[in-house]
Amino acid sequence: MSDHEHDHMEHDHPHDHGSPAVVMTARVNALIGALESRGIVQDAEVTAVLERFLAAAGPSNGARIVARAWADPAYRGLLLDDANAAIAQLGLDMSHWAPVSLRVVENTQRAHNIVVCTLCSCYPIALLGPAPQWYKSEAYRSRVVREPRAVLHEFGITVPDDREVRVWDSTAELRYLVLPQRPPHSDDWDEARLMQAVTRDALIGVAL
Amino acid sequence: MRFAVGDAVRTSGRDPDHHYRVPRYLRGKRGRIEAVHAAFPLADARAAGDPSPPVETLYTVAFAGGEVWAEGAEPNTVYHAELWESYLVPADAAS
Amino acid sequence: MSRLNDVGGLTGFGPIEREPDEPLFHSEWEARVFALNRLLMAKGLYNLDEFRDAVERIDPARYYGLSYYERWFEGVRTLLTERGLVPPETAA
Repeated sequence: MSDHEHDHMEHDHPHDHGSPAVVMTARVNALIGALESRGIVQDAEVTAVLERFLAAAGPSNGARIVARAWADPAYRGLLLDDANAAIAQLGLDMSHWAPVSLRVVENTQRAHNIVVCTLCSCYPIALLGPAPQWYKSEAYRSRVVREPRAVLHEFGITVPDDREVRVWDSTAELRYLVLPQRPPHSDDWDEARLMQAVTRDALIGVAL
Repeated sequence: MRFAVGDAVRTSGRDPDHHYRVPRYLRGKRGRIEAVHAAFPLADARAAGDPSPPVETLYTVAFAGGEVWAEGAEPNTVYHAELWESYLVPADAAS
Repeated sequence: MSRLNDVGGLTGFGPIEREPDEPLFHSEWEARVFALNRLLMAKGLYNLDEFRDAVERIDPARYYGLSYYERWFEGVRTLLTERGLVPPETAA
């Protein structure tokens, strides 16, 4: 980027020139400093919130849920019927800054599910951790509701026309988890091994 | 609650300039109630800072792909969205 | 009028780009914005819908040029400024 373009880009930013990360770091620090001086938050609180969140949320939670559902048909039934109650049995919850509810949708021979939030980036973050950048991108959010099969194909999944594609747009207070199909020849796998077969992308519906 | 699973509904076609949770691509579209959920405070009102937002039933509505995209819809595709009750009206019997 | 976040079915955004081994956050500042937002909502200073609304109100001429967490920062800052909790950002 030329110096002229760089100057122009920084026109609206009140701080010295620097990379975007340097500029944003300064702005974030300034904001937290302003909040601290007014007794609204403490920097240590921000750190604590981040650490607690990262400790509790991650894709392994999703893997546990799926592995349990694969291993236990009764649990699978509960998961599909009342996901919040089912995850509570594993000591998990969707604790959040607003009341949200989990719904699990199941891939079968008849249907493949894929999840999006076209309006922002809603995602079961309290369970799985932050969503991947591509999920939050305008490119994914705009295209997956226009041509989901083409998008799935780009992710390496070809869904035949006689298999239904179900697109779930998280427009309100539900968050979705896709229950992938159990791998073939896995009848003798224990839950730990089943967990290893679950990927974060499969929980969104862009992997099998 | 106004609707039950299986009911035919149509999403509002209104186009407000405030925070609103019916995506453009689903406005004025006919669908079917696929699930009835609990009631939640309406996003529009919460976004405006309303201290007593209306609490309305949330529904999952299923839309056939050909209904959502008049041209070039992919085959055998169903769209789902969660929509507050005031976003929906009963679908016309004739439509 | 629909806001710029309402992108379902729009074209022109290019390919879906995936980053192998993507980190949870690309910079420390992003993680701090994420945590700060969560903290402020937990303290009841604003709710999630107000936050989304603030992001949606970002000047359209700038909106698509901002990264995801740059937009979050703008939303948080807007809400705090509008409530008089912090002064507007000024030149350093």
